[in-house]
Parts: sequence; C-alpha cells; structure tokens
Amino acid sequence: MTAAAVAKDVGARLAQAAGLNATLHWSAECLEAEARRVDGMSTQGALHALPLAVKDNIVTIEEPTTCGSRILEGYVSPFTATAVRRLRAAGAMVACKANLDEFAMGSSTEHSAYGRVNNPLDHERVPGGSSGGSAALVAADVVPAALGSETGGSVRQPASFCGVVGVKPTYGRVSRYGLVAFGSSLDCISVFGKTVNHASRVLAVMSGPDPLDATSVDRPPMKAPAAISSLAGLKVGLPREYFPSDLHPGVRAGLDRTVATLRELGATISEVSLPHSKYAVPTYYIIAPAEAAANLARYDGVRYGVRRVGPEGDISSLYRATRGSGFGAEVRRRILIGTYVLSAGYYDAYYRKAQTVRALIAQDFHQVLGANGVDLLLTPTTPTPAFKAGEKTEDPVQMYLADIFVCAISLAGLPALSLPVGRDRGLPIGAQLIAGAFEEPRLLAVAALLERTLGGTEEVR
Amino acid sequence: MTIGSDQVKYVAKLAEIGVAEHELPKLVEQFNRIVDYVAQLDEVPSDTKAEPFLAGPEATPLREDVVNSAPLARPPAAMAPEFADGFFLVPRHGAMEDL
Repeated sequence: MTAAAVAKDVGARLAQAAGLNATLHWSAECLEAEARRVDGMSTQGALHALPLAVKDNIVTIEEPTTCGSRILEGYVSPFTATAVRRLRAAGAMVACKANLDEFAMGSSTEHSAYGRVNNPLDHERVPGGSSGGSAALVAADVVPAALGSETGGSVRQPASFCGVVGVKPTYGRVSRYGLVAFGSSLDCISVFGKTVNHASRVLAVMSGPDPLDATSVDRPPMKAPAAISSLAGLKVGLPREYFPSDLHPGVRAGLDRTVATLRELGATISEVSLPHSKYAVPTYYIIAPAEAAANLARYDGVRYGVRRVGPEGDISSLYRATRGSGFGAEVRRRILIGTYVLSAGYYDAYYRKAQTVRALIAQDFHQVLGANGVDLLLTPTTPTPAFKAGEKTEDPVQMYLADIFVCAISLAGLPALSLPVGRDRGLPIGAQLIAGAFEEPRLLAVAALLERTLGGTEEVR
Repeated sequence: MTIGSDQVKYVAKLAEIGVAEHELPKLVEQFNRIVDYVAQLDEVPSDTKAEPFLAGPEATPLREDVVNSAPLARPPAAMAPEFADGFFLVPRHGAMEDL
C-alpha cells in the first residue's frame, strides 16, 4: 500500500471521528505532503507509511502547537521534536495533532481549552488524560499508534480508560527535545499502540541519546523484543498497597484474570510491598507544580503567549493580564501551588520534604526490582474504569486520585505500560506492568505474550 | 493550616497571574483543599534520610563550549514581522516611553 493511499484512508477516518473532539489540528494538505515525502523515500523505513497522532504539546513545524491552551493559540514552533524527526525518518507520517488537558495537566481532558475528548466507547465518559486525544484516536481505529507524554501517568491512565496499550519508557530513554516542558524531572514522550507490537516499534525508533537533550541517557536505542512463548522463570510481584480492599470489583476481576494467565504461562507470583507509594500523589502534587511554576514562567506575553495589556499599562500588569486570561483554571491552580511550595518559609516543609519522599518511593522500587527481588510488578492501572464527564471537575484532589497507581512509577523514573485485560460492562480495564530502569524489552515481550493469550476485550465478570 | 485570600493573592502576585475578585473564594477553597491534602507528607518523620534521587543520567554530559546554530526550520527573519541587523524589532511598550 502506498503512503498516499494510507493518508487518504486516515483523512477519511479523521473526518469521520470529528465527533470525538480528539484532534486540534489536521489537514488533508499536510497528510498529502507527508505521504509524498514517504512515497519519495529511496528505501522503506521500519515504520513505512505508519500514520501517527501526535499530542499537541510535542512540536512540529507544519501545524500549530497549542498545548490545549488559549495562551498558545496559533503558535507554530520553529523546530521539530527529535522524537518526531526520528519517526519521520523511519517512514512514519504525522496524521494530526491531538487534544489534551491544558499543558498536560489533568486526567480527563476536561481541562483542555478546546473542549474535552469523548471516550470512543462511551461518549458520556472521559478518555482519561492528559493524552486523552491520542488514546481516543487509537481506540477509535483512526491511527494504529500515537505519541503522548507522561509526567505522572498521562499515557497509561488514558490507555486504560480507552482499552489500548500505553507505554511510558524509562526517564531519559527518549529525548525530550521538542516536548513542551511541564515537570522536567518527570516528563517523558510516551506511546500508545493498538497492540504492544505497534507501541514497541514506535518506541524503538524514537529512543536513543540526543545531544539536544542533556537528560537523555547515553545508551543505544531500544531494540523491539522478539516474541516469547513462555514465562517460565519470570518472577512477578504484586505490591499489596496497589490492591486496596475497596478496589473497584471490575478492576479486581480484570487483575485476577491477568494473574491467573501469568501463572498458566509459567510465571511465579509473589506479594511484595512498596510502603511509600501511598505518598506518591501528594509528593507528585508538590514536585510537579513546583517544576511547572518555573517552566511556565516563559508564557508571559513577551517571550511566548497571546499578549493581553493590563489596566495599569506597565509590564507587570501585562504579565498578569496575559497569564490570568491565557491559562485555564487548573494550570493557574498548579502554578500557584508550585509558587507557594517554593516560596520563602514553605520550601523546607513542602518541596524539600517531597524530594525526600520521592527518594524513598524510588528506593522501594529499586529494592523490590533489585537483584534478589522480582522481575516485574503487576498492578491495576487505575482504581476504576473511565468515569463520567463532570464527575471530578469540582474537586481537584478527586481528579488527582485518578492517578494513584501510576504516578509513583513516574517519580521513580521507571518504565511501565498499561495493557487492556478485559472489560467490565463494556468499559476497558487496564493492568499495569512495571520494570526496572531500561528493562523495556522484557516488559514489552511479556506484555505481548499476555496480550496474545488474554485477548483483552472479554467481559471480566 | 488555613490559607487566607490575602496569602493566595500574594502568591498570585509572585506568580504574575491575574485573579479576578469574583474568582477568589473558590480558588482559596481549592488551594486549601490541595495544601491540606499534600500535607499528609508530615506523617513521614522529618529526620528521615534518603539518598537524593533524580531520574536520568548520573551526570550531565559535557560538551565542547562552542556555539552551534540552532536547528530551526525557518530563519529568524522569517519568524518576526521586522528583523534588522540581527535584532528583532518589537513595538515600544507603554512602560518604556519615559525612559
């Protein structure tokens, strides 16, 4: 199939999926240009003619990058993200820029300035967030794979809600160059796939060191793993803190099914403990807003941002008016919290304390996944299936708790993925597999075998 | 601990974010809700020691101290309405009229 034919088909699918509100920018012209470029390549790359949705906080020069914010309305980057550049060189095509929570802050896409994304399986429910547009486009069969970004679970959580595969690599495995900064010590470009194989192939191409990102780790690019047929010898740990007694019964049934399948395939299962994970959400909501407060200072109407002139006519008034009207409520809240926890008199009580707890959380993982520990951890990805729109918008803490099982892994910088393991009354259930740093190949190989064995769309109870 | 509206206004000033008076009550309530929630880290004894942790490479890679051109898709002149002698020309700002 030529890239031109693929592009035409994707264009039709994008038009048909308009009701999801999952895209922020796409055009038939851009798709045709991508197809011409790929059809003109002298050799076919590893991702020949693969159409990708790209979350709209990853910069490309052809289309605007708004981060789902009014403050960046119409902004077009003068450069392309390294990850996108590598994917294109391997023959992939950027099909569209996908909707997201503003500046990737949220768990439902309800914080996008351009309206929320509908979950393709139930339009009354959210697709998860912040990479909800990318997840919805893969779930709705518009594209087979998509780029998202993770700061504290923003790919795994929507992957779980939409019933697709979502993979967060080890921090530093993929260059952050061209990913609009939110929490720099946490941010990772991550990937959604219709299958584990799609996600593996995309991750393999975009991984590897990049001189333009000093936090990218100097290791060769990841190799997509070969298929395995048995899990004999594999040790899987179930952290007891991630299976609370009030866990949603559908989620529990999905995980029970996964554990039974792991055993059938030859893995040994044991219970382990990650005692500091219970502090992951409060730790995250100190560290991430603190980093965001610094990173988002650049949107001031002078360096970046749609400028608003304030009533006093001075420069401070310009900043306040630009930032007050350009940022949505959640972004403003996080900048304020971040500024507060870094301010004189509160730094030690909040920020320094959170850094200590972050180290304890990471230490727990390193002990459990260390030499005498287990190879992988299995947990639910989310405490419930996709929730209804509007359910959590009034109470920010309730929204934050949607990430309770995913954000500790981000704080520890580890790779993890969400795999669909069944459905509860039609809504997808995701299981999360977590590995030690740079163990993505094993993580992906196990997930691919589980995917083949489990199916993933069966009702779990 | 309760954070009052004056303190939220002060933080908003530090962050250069305009907040309208009518938005304040809800913002103060949500601010307190979040700060109360994250304060559960107080349970961790304050004398707890942990090896400092930061994800990523063990050391920042060093590179030659040379200026390389940024890999831009368009030259600077194409990104500005006016560009002359290597400078971006921008409109005068009101605050600078007296200088």
